[in-house]
Amino acid sequence: MSTVATEVIPVAHFVKGEIVTGTEVEYRPRDSAPFATPKLDLDSLVYSRAEPPPAADVPYSEIIELLMETGDHLRRDPEGFLAEALENMVRTSPMGRPVLEWAYGELWRAFDRERIEFQVKEELGGPAVLDGWREVVDAIGRKHGVRAYSPRLVQIIAGNAPGVSVLSVINGAITKSVSLFKLPSNDLFTATAVLRSLAAVAPGHPVTRSFSAAYWRGGDDAVEGILFRPQFFDKVVAWGGESTIKSAVKYLGPGFELVSFDPKTSMSLIGKEAFTDEFTLEEAAAEAAIDATFFNQFMCAATRFIYLEASVDEADRFCQVLQREMAVERPSSSPSGPSVAAEMRDEIDALRMLEPHYRIFGGYEGEGLVIRSEDPVEFYPENKVVNVVPVRSLHEALRYANVSTQTVGVYPPSRKAEVRDALAAAGTQRVVRLGRAGAAVRGLPHDGFYPLNRFVRWVNDED
Amino acid sequence: MSALEQLDSFLDDEGDPFRPDDEVLPVQLEAARERFEQQRSRIPVLERRAKDVGIDDIKTLDDIVPLLFSHTTYKSYPEAFVRKGRWDAMATWLNTVSAQTPTHVDFSGVSDVDEWITRLWENDHPVYVSSGTSGKLSILPMSQLDRRNIGRFIGRVLGWPNPIEPKQNMRFYQLGPSRGPNRQIDNFQMMVQLFARPDGVHTLSDEPLRISIISRAAEMRQRMLDGTATPAEIEEFENEAAARAAPMGDAIKRLADEIVVHRNEPMFVYGFWSQHWQILQEARALGVGDGEFHPDTLIGAGGGAKGFDMPDDFADQIMRFYGNVRRHRGYSMTEMTQVFYQCPENRYHRPPGIIPLILDASGEHLLNEENTVVEGRMGFLDVNVEGRWGGLITGDKVEIDFGPSCPCGRPGPTILDTIVRYKDLGDEDKITCAGSFDAYVRGVVGQ
Repeated sequence: MSTVATEVIPVAHFVKGEIVTGTEVEYRPRDSAPFATPKLDLDSLVYSRAEPPPAADVPYSEIIELLMETGDHLRRDPEGFLAEALENMVRTSPMGRPVLEWAYGELWRAFDRERIEFQVKEELGGPAVLDGWREVVDAIGRKHGVRAYSPRLVQIIAGNAPGVSVLSVINGAITKSVSLFKLPSNDLFTATAVLRSLAAVAPGHPVTRSFSAAYWRGGDDAVEGILFRPQFFDKVVAWGGESTIKSAVKYLGPGFELVSFDPKTSMSLIGKEAFTDEFTLEEAAAEAAIDATFFNQFMCAATRFIYLEASVDEADRFCQVLQREMAVERPSSSPSGPSVAAEMRDEIDALRMLEPHYRIFGGYEGEGLVIRSEDPVEFYPENKVVNVVPVRSLHEALRYANVSTQTVGVYPPSRKAEVRDALAAAGTQRVVRLGRAGAAVRGLPHDGFYPLNRFVRWVNDED
Repeated sequence: MSALEQLDSFLDDEGDPFRPDDEVLPVQLEAARERFEQQRSRIPVLERRAKDVGIDDIKTLDDIVPLLFSHTTYKSYPEAFVRKGRWDAMATWLNTVSAQTPTHVDFSGVSDVDEWITRLWENDHPVYVSSGTSGKLSILPMSQLDRRNIGRFIGRVLGWPNPIEPKQNMRFYQLGPSRGPNRQIDNFQMMVQLFARPDGVHTLSDEPLRISIISRAAEMRQRMLDGTATPAEIEEFENEAAARAAPMGDAIKRLADEIVVHRNEPMFVYGFWSQHWQILQEARALGVGDGEFHPDTLIGAGGGAKGFDMPDDFADQIMRFYGNVRRHRGYSMTEMTQVFYQCPENRYHRPPGIIPLILDASGEHLLNEENTVVEGRMGFLDVNVEGRWGGLITGDKVEIDFGPSCPCGRPGPTILDTIVRYKDLGDEDKITCAGSFDAYVRGVVGQ
């Protein structure tokens, strides 16, 4: 990343289906390129409660068709919206071009009919509640109606994976919500590019008009103090962002709630079976490397700590193979970077001197670095740094799972059953086969809840 | 005379120790070269860094930048070593960042980190400890010469630009403990030896500062991480923390009474703003008005107002109360052996032993530029320090004027009175779904 002052990058807003350009407000982040946005017009970002949200009565089937067309449009990108956003991302994101190119190339795949229908079935029991009042007969035979009504959402988007923007658009569309995206400074472009594609497919369509995307500095009272009110929005959906969540919490109250995809960390449990033979060792190390380097380890699902049923010598053997595998170029991982930050490097440099308590494999430039230690390190491994801790048994490792643990990858998968209840008790949300940490299944719970189920406003018509 | 000796001589001769760049900078650069040559074989982490970045010799300021450490270097020991009482392993760690080897120290019988540190001091390996918001302690190896140099420097500049003559005639009030492995306390003791009348030294407490209490936050975090902390333990921890933050009741009242009685004599009062506020309250209760203190009195004040019931203009009220006295103000930190002392124009003047290196936010590029005001991250090489490598990148954002003179008429370079911590500027609004456990530990990590 260039650290010398560069030109100011213009960032467009998207307001109720229309692109808004302008560079009236300039931002100068400390460690990335300066950018400028149009001035915010708060009035334009809200929808009066005197009227139903624009998409409230658009049939579900029509929304699905619209999403399919949008997906196809994104694949082809005829106007070059995605291409332009990608170039801007390469200039401003620490992720690096190879992984960003891959991620952008995959964005359209999320617009998949079967997967969306599966998600709606699992999370809402099918589309009936979206289109109308599903009949419910109670215990004494009275008939009522239940509808998953269009919510008004502020969606605080995470910038560490472009797919989050796409999912937020899909989730917003199928719940017929009005959605105001608060853009993160680490991805100022993806959501807007996706929304521009939606607008190209269906200009002026009620679904298109339901979306806005804008940047303001997270926690800015001048914006959030006005907008974060039940008169304008039902819920803040947050993918992280400490300032904004802290700020949103100030405004929570009756009628204004927080749906939080909490900041999470992930780990792996690898059984002694990995040492059965050379093949299993290579297999376990390769799967662990995939999980550790997923999106260059920027994702919450990417593993940072690996607890390994092994002696110290065995663990060192494993670490060697693991580091080699982390250096392999994969679509979701580029060995050319990003490099380890100075503060962490300085800590690791000291740990290097503490053999045999610690042993370090690999280097700082993105090729993957493995720290083997008796106890987990106290810092938060990132930029493809992973900490391998040998344990006598996987059960001994269970105490390292807690409320901040999202994903636990297990090798071999046959041992998931043995640990999953204890992991659930500790606070873990997801137990997966090692190597599949990044392969989240839509329609299953996310961070401990069914997102669509939380997004919608459940309304009753009672007899 | 070596360059290091020459820099040192700036403290001994008649001239002002704060001198212009054209006189100081060439000597500093040569001293940096000497220091690096001497230290790289003695300090393992420096040797490793020098190899990694391919720097064998310091010829320019740019050569120093890749050799600067982050603050994490001095807290890179595994907390588990402390928790499990592995004091030999801790010593092995200390050795990696220290220019001296504590190999002959016997740690048998040591039961906590305070005893470990005491044992190091007893064996001629002084270390200074400082605590950050993370709760993890920085441990900085020193040499005895480093400590003596800190004392010499302060003896030479206390009260600058009109240094006070060390005549052992001042009363000294330290609103804190009298003993402890902490730069400020050690410094106080050295000032006492030079400036204080033997019967006029008072501290808030003679109980030594206990590091293991400070490090309890780190332990608590670990217990929360393990899921073993009980509600009763959390309550106890919070009560202890509240008790520590609370005013020291009788002790400070006793000191305040002393201070008020002797207010017409020169004295040095050093403490937090909140403690000065308590002194003011006590003085008011005794009917003492504003401006009654001896003009040679020196006031040192720091810390914030957080958690204390003080009005917004507490600092003004306190200084009005002391009246026409001198403020002891400088820009320094545990990691520095000298102080950027403040002039009447509120700028901080560069001491001879420290090379300021202003960096971009990434800490990789040097922004120093002659005759101009440069804003950036404060880095520095303290060429004086011999117990460890003195090169460090700080978390402070500073503006420094590399022009030849300060509005006060004395030579530059000077740091402007606009220092802030990057941390206090808020996060960068980079939103991510990935986060550490710290977000889940309310009231224990940071504030």
